[in-house]
Amino acid sequence: MLAALAALGLSWWGLRAEPRPARRAALLALRTITAALALFLLLEPAVQLLQTARSRLRFAVLVDTSRSMRFPVEPGGASRAEAVAGLLSRQRADLAGLAERVDLEVRGFSAESSPVDADAAARGLPADGSRTDLLGALRAAASGPGRKLAGVLLLSDGADNVALASGLTTATRAELKALGVPINTVAAGREPPRDLAVERVAAEEFAFVRSNVTIEATLRAHGLEAGPITVVLRREGSVVAQAIVKLEPGRDRYQVPLTFRPDTTGTFVFTVAAPVLPGEAVTANNQRSFVLRVIRDRVRVLLVAGRPSWDERFLRGLLKQDPNVDLVSFFILRTNSDQPGSQDQLSLIPFPVQEIFGPQLRTFDAVILLNFNYAPYRMLDIERFLPNLRDYVRGGGGLAMIGGEQGFGEARYGATPLAEVLPVVPLDGAGLVEERFRPRPTAQGRRHPITALGASEAATAAAWEALPPLEVLNRTRPLPPGSGAAVLLEAPGLLVDGQPAPVVAVREAGAGRTLAVTTDGSWHWGYLAAEGGGGDGAYRRFWSSALRWLVRDPELSALKAEPDAPVVDPGGPIGLSVSLRGADQGPAAGRKVAVELVAEDGRAVARSEAVTGADGSARIELPAVPPGAYKVQARAEPVPGGAPETSATALTVRGAGPEDGDATPRPELMAAIAELTGGDSNSLPGGKLPALRQLEPEVVEIGQRRDQPIWNRWWFLAGLCVSLGAEWMLRRRWGSW
Amino acid sequence: MAPSPLSRRSFLASLAAGLAGAALPARARDGVASSPVAIGQVVHDGRWNPRPGALKRLGWELARRTSIETTPEPVPVRLDAPGLHRHPFLYLAGEGALPPLGDAARAALRRHLQFGGFLLADSADGLEGGAFDASLRRELAQVLPAAPLAPIPQAHVLYKTFYLLDRQGGRVAVKPWLEGVTLDGRLAVVSSQNDLGGAWDRSDLGDWEHPCTPGGEPQREVAIRLGVNLSMYALCTDYKDDAVHLPFIMKRRT
Repeated sequence: MLAALAALGLSWWGLRAEPRPARRAALLALRTITAALALFLLLEPAVQLLQTARSRLRFAVLVDTSRSMRFPVEPGGASRAEAVAGLLSRQRADLAGLAERVDLEVRGFSAESSPVDADAAARGLPADGSRTDLLGALRAAASGPGRKLAGVLLLSDGADNVALASGLTTATRAELKALGVPINTVAAGREPPRDLAVERVAAEEFAFVRSNVTIEATLRAHGLEAGPITVVLRREGSVVAQAIVKLEPGRDRYQVPLTFRPDTTGTFVFTVAAPVLPGEAVTANNQRSFVLRVIRDRVRVLLVAGRPSWDERFLRGLLKQDPNVDLVSFFILRTNSDQPGSQDQLSLIPFPVQEIFGPQLRTFDAVILLNFNYAPYRMLDIERFLPNLRDYVRGGGGLAMIGGEQGFGEARYGATPLAEVLPVVPLDGAGLVEERFRPRPTAQGRRHPITALGASEAATAAAWEALPPLEVLNRTRPLPPGSGAAVLLEAPGLLVDGQPAPVVAVREAGAGRTLAVTTDGSWHWGYLAAEGGGGDGAYRRFWSSALRWLVRDPELSALKAEPDAPVVDPGGPIGLSVSLRGADQGPAAGRKVAVELVAEDGRAVARSEAVTGADGSARIELPAVPPGAYKVQARAEPVPGGAPETSATALTVRGAGPEDGDATPRPELMAAIAELTGGDSNSLPGGKLPALRQLEPEVVEIGQRRDQPIWNRWWFLAGLCVSLGAEWMLRRRWGSW
Repeated sequence: MAPSPLSRRSFLASLAAGLAGAALPARARDGVASSPVAIGQVVHDGRWNPRPGALKRLGWELARRTSIETTPEPVPVRLDAPGLHRHPFLYLAGEGALPPLGDAARAALRRHLQFGGFLLADSADGLEGGAFDASLRRELAQVLPAAPLAPIPQAHVLYKTFYLLDRQGGRVAVKPWLEGVTLDGRLAVVSSQNDLGGAWDRSDLGDWEHPCTPGGEPQREVAIRLGVNLSMYALCTDYKDDAVHLPFIMKRRT
């Protein structure tokens, strides 16, 4: 190429003597043509032949089949699903035309997506999906097998309740853009139907008993007349709170606080219900249930001591330090025979027998009578309240009686109604045992949560053996088998009726529990034990566990039945795990346990049984039940002579799932998706298919390459000769050389 | 130092009281505590028992005025001897300087107090800042270095645990307030320089051993009431601060 240019330059230089420009130009042109042809022949150029074609792409038509498509596309109109099917049917020709250029793939989607027949989609697909997952359906279409996706036609009401439930976020925008295809949308429905719904209930997972609890319900109202409605909060059928809400024109959401004060602990089903108004599109969303666990903020304990003592001092100190205990104490600081002087100079208060053993009694979770004799307070009518105390226990309260010269038989409790619930038989008038002894855990005591001080039975026995001895014991007798009582600690060398005297005993008495500690020396296990360097851990653990056991801390319950989830979707079986401990506190194997689901109206709607395995657990599956709130009542078959173990919790079977709960179409979301991805959008009713934008198909090589030489034609050589000859001839004629 | 030798006078008095007691019928079980409170009197190498009848009289007053039952006699205890924790209420008295307790005794006292024990220190010197008080401060600074002795305010529950008190009592009135060491929100140590034991001390024949100056018998009565309140505090701590008592106490104080 450089040589050719150099030759041309020289020839131009050689023509400078030619005076006539026309001749000079003609000669230069001929030389240029000659140089070009010579160069062409030297380079030997060729043409490469390549066989190509345009690729065929996929186009996805995604049809929403979730339950919200059952709602009318407009008030009084066809369903959204029917409107979509009608559009596909009317535009079948357009789609057929599209199918000539691309592979048309029709998919139905809700929580999942799957291919459907195009004709079936045009006739109408069943709308029964439990979720609307637009992004999931788009992902599935984009990653589908076969050809590359060119575009999407998305037909839905836009009522997404998965990734796009809160609209387009930065992350979902990025993901939609990353799909890289135009998404054309058709929104089924523009206006929400006439409906009143409990859209949301904001409640904590647990609440404190005897403290006000406020839950906040969100109501959503569309197309309803203005006026007041009453929203109620029910606990398993009973109304515990209500509020009046005034519906206003132009307002669609209302925050409704509902306040109540739970009076008992446990797991309960609560339901917020709004009235069903005429003409509502959906009534299943007019109520919403939730499970609330009502717990104690603090265990409320009444400690009554017959006189100041070290046992009282250290127990009070322990309970006062415990942040989980709300302690109310009454100590008898003087008796009628004492002569302290003028009452005005004393800080003493009257013993409020009537208040604490009367109406206030049920506000306590546990009552501890520490070396307390009721007899001196007969003038205060205390005997009238002893049956109250017994009934308080049977009704679920906890009672501990601690010994001393005013406890058990010394106070002749054996002749009182309390004897019916005490875990031992007080031997009235038998006198105290005043000699040193070391209590020993019984077989049950080595495993019971109150007295199991060690990680194993042997460690527990050793731990008790290492504690300082006791010096005083109230004589009592164990209750016979079948009474629900168990001796946990006994005095080995101190026999009553030929048996070791009980030191610590417990009893299930009706719905409540009782504890007997037949000595006023339990403080030895703490303060005295601490002198030897061992600390007071045993004492703290004993009383902490005793209190938790008395108030039925769920963690210490022998029977536990836990549903797999507190809220379950309708239509599926309900699974529960059950575990049972025996009277010896070990796993209760081979015991029959039954679980019932009890509806709000008290009907048992499902029941199942199982037998516990070697580890004391069983798996129970209950059949599907209708949507609603249910109490889960578990019961373990009692051992001969024992009391049945029971437990209760609650669960909810969803009625108004997310699809039924929110009937509002979201055409703005559909339009936003289209705009973001370069698609077109339209909406129903009345709309047509949008312009189905899609990617252009790519050109691809489908055959072999072939090189075709083009320099070896004869006329290239002829042209070279002609141009060279013409230049020579003209130069001669014009006399240049 | 060994316990104080028994004087002829106290021996005869004890003998008379014992004979009188033997002539009485056995006391009924009712009203007798199964586990009476045994106040431990700390034996140290100084004059550890300057008021021999003080605690016995305090016990007698407690039994007469309150439902607290004490053992008939206090129990002499050495801080470094086993069994100290059998006596959560310790009484440390002295006249003149308190000799150094020793590391073992200090450690035992520290443990005693930290696990819930109570110490009443009572100076029989009869003057503010006497030798006993100075040596007590020295010892407490080593036993509980992080919790110094501090004045106990008049609003403290100690002054309403049984009696409603607004003044100090004792054989003398040299210090208008008590001092105390607070551990975990409770008074673990209370120190008096007004010789409480001197006001409580009474012979077995019924004579007060020491006059109370300058207030005479009213001052003694306050000292006894303060002893009752201190005992109540040791056994019930802040019971009288419970909300249920406040309306009654407020009413009586106005």
